[in-house]
Amino acid sequence: MRLAWFRNLPVTVRVPLVVAGLMIVLGLVASQGVLAVLGSLQDARLREITRLHVEGLSVALGPFVPRQDVWEVYDVLDRAQRATDGQRLLLTLVADDQGRVLAATDPRRAPVGSAIAPFTVDAAAPEAVRMTGQRVLRIAAPLVYQDRNVGQIVTELDVTDLLQERRRVGHWLLVGNVAATALLGLAGWLVVARLLRPIGILVEAMGAETGVPHAIPDSRMPRGDPGLVRLFRTYNAMAAAAEARAEAERRLAARERFVSLGRLSSSLAHEINNPLGGLMNSADTIASYAHRPEVVREAAGLIQRGLSHLRDVSRAILDQNRLDRAQQPLCPEDLDDLRLLFGPEAASSAQSLDWRVAADAAALGRHPAAPVRQILLNLLLNAGAAAGRSGHVALDVRSGPDGLHLVVADSGPGLSTDDLARLMASGPVPPGGGVGLRLVHDLVTGLGGEIRHARSSERTAIEVVLPTAGGADA
Amino acid sequence: MLTTRRAFLSCPVVLAAGMAAAVAAAPFRFALTPVFLDNDAAVLSALRAALAHGLTSDVELVQRRTYQEITGALLDGSVDAAWTCGYPFLEHRNALTILGAPVWRGKPRYQSYLIVADDDPATGLSDLAGGIHAFSDPDSNSGFLVTASDLAGIGQTPDTYFSRTIFTYGHRNVVRAVAGGLARSGSVDGYVWETLAEAEPDLTARTRVIARSEWLGFPPFVARGDRLSEAGVAACRATLLALGRNAPGREALRLLRLDGVTPAGPALYDGIARRMSAIRVLR
Repeated sequence: MRLAWFRNLPVTVRVPLVVAGLMIVLGLVASQGVLAVLGSLQDARLREITRLHVEGLSVALGPFVPRQDVWEVYDVLDRAQRATDGQRLLLTLVADDQGRVLAATDPRRAPVGSAIAPFTVDAAAPEAVRMTGQRVLRIAAPLVYQDRNVGQIVTELDVTDLLQERRRVGHWLLVGNVAATALLGLAGWLVVARLLRPIGILVEAMGAETGVPHAIPDSRMPRGDPGLVRLFRTYNAMAAAAEARAEAERRLAARERFVSLGRLSSSLAHEINNPLGGLMNSADTIASYAHRPEVVREAAGLIQRGLSHLRDVSRAILDQNRLDRAQQPLCPEDLDDLRLLFGPEAASSAQSLDWRVAADAAALGRHPAAPVRQILLNLLLNAGAAAGRSGHVALDVRSGPDGLHLVVADSGPGLSTDDLARLMASGPVPPGGGVGLRLVHDLVTGLGGEIRHARSSERTAIEVVLPTAGGADA
Repeated sequence: MLTTRRAFLSCPVVLAAGMAAAVAAAPFRFALTPVFLDNDAAVLSALRAALAHGLTSDVELVQRRTYQEITGALLDGSVDAAWTCGYPFLEHRNALTILGAPVWRGKPRYQSYLIVADDDPATGLSDLAGGIHAFSDPDSNSGFLVTASDLAGIGQTPDTYFSRTIFTYGHRNVVRAVAGGLARSGSVDGYVWETLAEAEPDLTARTRVIARSEWLGFPPFVARGDRLSEAGVAACRATLLALGRNAPGREALRLLRLDGVTPAGPALYDGIARRMSAIRVLR
């Protein structure tokens, strides 16, 4: 979850970031390795210094310690310290085999004859000395002369310079590694970003922003990499195929509207033909009884009602196909039109129609008329076909907090797997069958809505929920 | 000695020819002790040049660690002459003779200094009991005899009076021992301390003189008495006494901070003889 923001980054950003991160890790590991090597080198150097110091003093002091020759011991220590300018050897003292100080480079700290014991606290053997972070290290070693242990040497070494060297190396290592890592990270970023540029082009062409894939022009084709060129060409071929398929679907959808009307035409012909008989009779009646005003008025009334019905039917058909209504808001009359259009279809199959519209004009007006009418007409025609003769079809339109609910139910045997795939999924349209259900799916998707399918008690219900633009219904 | 001289004078031609051959064959060996700044190469070089100026043979400077070694070499003939201390001279006054005594600050005398560290509150020998004391050499007048005889005067010896005594075999080393804190106090040649004060003021500045002895005979140039008539020894004596009269000699004297070399007899060292008597009584 914490890395969700990272996963959401484009691959052309993520991969260079990972490369830069790996380089930082590599830099840290390398720095740690260098510091560890430096530490071991300093320890080895320290042990060598200590060993040489102790061995040198043992050789120089060997004859004097058994003789308790205080001056000669002091002279050797003093000259040894002057030789190093006192920078490394802070204090060296030599004791006899009884642990009494014979001489020290600083006799005031370790007077002649005093015990050496306090100076051996925390002292390490020359072969075990190592950098501990302390500025002063204490080393104690036996003084061997002619294979005999004749005394003891204790030395305090000032390792401030080694610590500073370590700190200085660590500092420069840090600075150098930061600079190198930044440089390499940037270079890695640029190189990988350049390597991934074709992927970026591909992602962009696949419709990262518009959702519509499009072909990659030749000018943006990668140069030199046969694999990538093949990939791009394959993609272009796939994009062309997808475009062709979308175009075909668009054409089918457009045709579907006319198919729907076609299916309505016979019932509509009845709808028009039935009043025509009455109208003809009324016209005959007027012609025959022109002298009888009451009969003429009655016949004229009949003609007027018949023409009115015909006018409504023709308006509904026109409205269904008028392009300039595409952006008009939905209104209760649109639902009346649908009933007018679908009612005869249901009646012709002796189907019972349960028509309930509970949404008011304001709730309906928040949705576009054309796609909603198309959705409902397709679903109703599909339900009417599924319900069969003497079946039952129902429409329920209501407004809910999450938008407008359109429920079309029928007493048919239910949708087949292929029909469900057309209605509910976005995958390829299964072969066979019409595109009406897929058109519903595409229209609902385009409006940001969702489709629910329920099958229970020999009743199939398709519920379309269209979200209200700008907020929930009141 | 008279016999030798007489024989030498009676056979001048033969002996002169033989001596010339001997001189040409063997260098003149002149021994030095830590009585002066024997660690200074420039001083050694200048002294060798000054001696070579008056001697016909090559000069070999022989350095030994102790007066005892120098005295032994003189007595057994390993060296022809030496610059030693009045104390070993007096101890072997029957065998040795003085070629000359250096003149320092106008007289052939010097003092022994009792020194402590510059931050030590001691004001005299009586404050130093129980401490560590640095001597130069057990055969040194200023570096041992003076303090030992002073202690003898109160019925003490260095071993009983001090907690520990250290022999450094060099007056400069005594100053180092006290300045470095190895010893609380030290007995040092006053001439050496004063010369060090000019050459190495940082070293002497860390010490303080708390007592000075009476003026005593300056460490003399000596040779075996029975060899005084030898041409080399005689030439050495003449060269030493004439140091102030030639350029190499003056350069050596300048570096040694000496005025010259003067003829001297055993009487110059009566003061040292008295101190020798004092410790002899205690023994």
